[in-house]
Amino acid sequence: MKEPESGNRFVVPALLLLSLVTVYPLIYVFYLSLQRRLLIFDISRFVGLDNYIFLLRDDRFWNAMKNTAYFTVVSVSLELLFGLSIALLLNRQFRFRGLVRAIVLIPWAIPTVVSARMWEWIYNTDFGILNYLLGTEINWLGSPSWAMNAAIFMDVWKTTPFVAILLTAGLQIIPRDLYQAAMIDGAGSWAVFRKITLPLLKPVILVVLIFRTLDAFRVFDAVYVLTGGGPANTTETLSIYAYKVLFQTLQFGYGSTLSVIVFLCTGGISLFYVKLLSRGMK
Amino acid sequence: MRRLLPSLLIFLIIINCAKADRDKKDVVTIIFKHGKIAGDPEPFRQLLERFEKENPGIKIKDETLPASTDEQHQFYVINLEGKSSDFDVLSMDVIWVPEFARAGWLRDLSHLLSEKERDEFFEGPMQAVSYKGRVYAIPWYIDAGVLYYRKDLLQKYGFKPPETWQELVKIAQHIISREKRLYGFIWQGKQYEGLVCNALEYFWSNGGDILKDGKVVIDSPENIEALSFMRDLIAKYKITPPLVTTATEEPTRHIFGSGRAVFMRNWPYAWNIFEKDGSPVKGKVGVAPMPSFPKGRSASTLGGWQLGINRYSRHPEAAERFVKFLTSGEAQKTLALTIGYKPTRKSLYKDRDLIEKQPFIVGLYEVFLNARPRPVSPYYMMMSQVLQPELSAAIAGIKTPDEALKSARRHIDHILEAEK
Repeated sequence: MKEPESGNRFVVPALLLLSLVTVYPLIYVFYLSLQRRLLIFDISRFVGLDNYIFLLRDDRFWNAMKNTAYFTVVSVSLELLFGLSIALLLNRQFRFRGLVRAIVLIPWAIPTVVSARMWEWIYNTDFGILNYLLGTEINWLGSPSWAMNAAIFMDVWKTTPFVAILLTAGLQIIPRDLYQAAMIDGAGSWAVFRKITLPLLKPVILVVLIFRTLDAFRVFDAVYVLTGGGPANTTETLSIYAYKVLFQTLQFGYGSTLSVIVFLCTGGISLFYVKLLSRGMK
Repeated sequence: MRRLLPSLLIFLIIINCAKADRDKKDVVTIIFKHGKIAGDPEPFRQLLERFEKENPGIKIKDETLPASTDEQHQFYVINLEGKSSDFDVLSMDVIWVPEFARAGWLRDLSHLLSEKERDEFFEGPMQAVSYKGRVYAIPWYIDAGVLYYRKDLLQKYGFKPPETWQELVKIAQHIISREKRLYGFIWQGKQYEGLVCNALEYFWSNGGDILKDGKVVIDSPENIEALSFMRDLIAKYKITPPLVTTATEEPTRHIFGSGRAVFMRNWPYAWNIFEKDGSPVKGKVGVAPMPSFPKGRSASTLGGWQLGINRYSRHPEAAERFVKFLTSGEAQKTLALTIGYKPTRKSLYKDRDLIEKQPFIVGLYEVFLNARPRPVSPYYMMMSQVLQPELSAAIAGIKTPDEALKSARRHIDHILEAEK
């Protein structure tokens, strides 16, 4: 009886600290979201759910939601696919494996803003190397049909290494003897992958998915630097929209409403994964 | 004596340091924030030095802001909302003054300009620096949208500069179907403030507007018609290449400057560059007021920069003296002669030196006289932020002009509700 009680006592400081830095701001943002607040003009008025009602009819919000969902689904699936392939390759024994692993990590090591600027030049219509290599004259970042895919491609390039390294670590925990046993039983490589690698890698995959999905859903810096949300808002994600409302038009009320929605969505996503993960652990 | 000399020296040095320190205290340093000076910065520097010489006791430290005006605006908003006194004099885009004045960040400068002196400035900028009858900044230099055209090409095919939009379409189509590698008409269509400047010229020249008598009229039939025409320039008449949907001033200036377009909408700064030696279009460029629709009359969007004083400045008197100096006729004339900043004082357009060096300024006088300020409202920047993506979507063909302007209206209504 005694031990759990003293345990609870030890948790109190951590809980207090957490509520100070996360719970309090959260409640404050929710409180702001019920207001019409223009800081610079000293306007602040309680308007109830007015901002939320406007949000439901705000097609720019729904557009941002659609863009964010598209970005998240496509980029995370591609990153998982490529990351897993690279991890499987890196898991083999070959010369210079250490060196190759280090090289693979480079895109992940470059700060996002720097790589976004770099890709901005790669995508440049007149001077970019991409058009030069393809022999095309496509306005990658300027055309509404290409811009989002260009941003996704950059994100995949940048974060696949992260996924690959985490999965490599996961692969190395899988006991070697399982593979040897399977080989003795005469299982083909596809069967080995499906029956041994994938199930045993599942917890790591789920952790990777949590990280990546949440990051992708809140994506801001990469897209903001690359396109600023344009052309015609076809790359405006929820975070970019919230940022613009908060810091460019300084509407703290409506901006907070958008932030609350982003929070609810990411909260929902994490809950979903945590459920999935705890089931996977059993 | 040998021991005395070093100590004497040290003593003298200490005294001198103390004296220098005291001198420094009498000198006031004014920090002046402004955007990058176009072209050669040397004449501007000389101007600052002249002010320092004429005003011993005031030192000017000028600091350049980020290149994009949106970032400049954000810099000011964050610092002024934080009551920063790190800068004294600020240069402001023509659309910011009412907002900054409403927020209480600018020193009231009404006493610097008598009623009579206010009349010496163009009316547009004077409107733009006034808020509730008080003056919060002094117009420094002026800008307005103009239509550049290729004199040589128009002559070759026997056309006069167009007065209506339909004429422009007809001339452009005629010429580009007969010449190789030539765009008809280029303008600024990227999702940014410049797009609003472009669009307003179509709205106004069709009798439309954003606000009329305090009411939001952004989704009026006139505006929808004008915006449809902008889309048609690309999609239907095909005289405007789709690349304008990502173009700002400089890319369009490069295209026109390399001789690859018949018409271009831009600000007057481009003229000096076109007339430089070695320019492919030297002597071939003409400038005209913007065309209009049959219903309306030609309209140019007013641009330009104004000087104001930070309300939290510790040296407002010295700052006032500096603002008066930089906006004086003499300083404006120097900047016009050297780096092509267009004066805000009307009398300078009759100045002989100026006309001799920049004959093109005579034609601009009429344009500046009729230039219209974007809605003079503290809420303008917020309105523009919601308008930009809608206009961009309409021009790119993602939304119909009707949808885009209806959506813009909902947002603008929502923003203006704050004032109720």
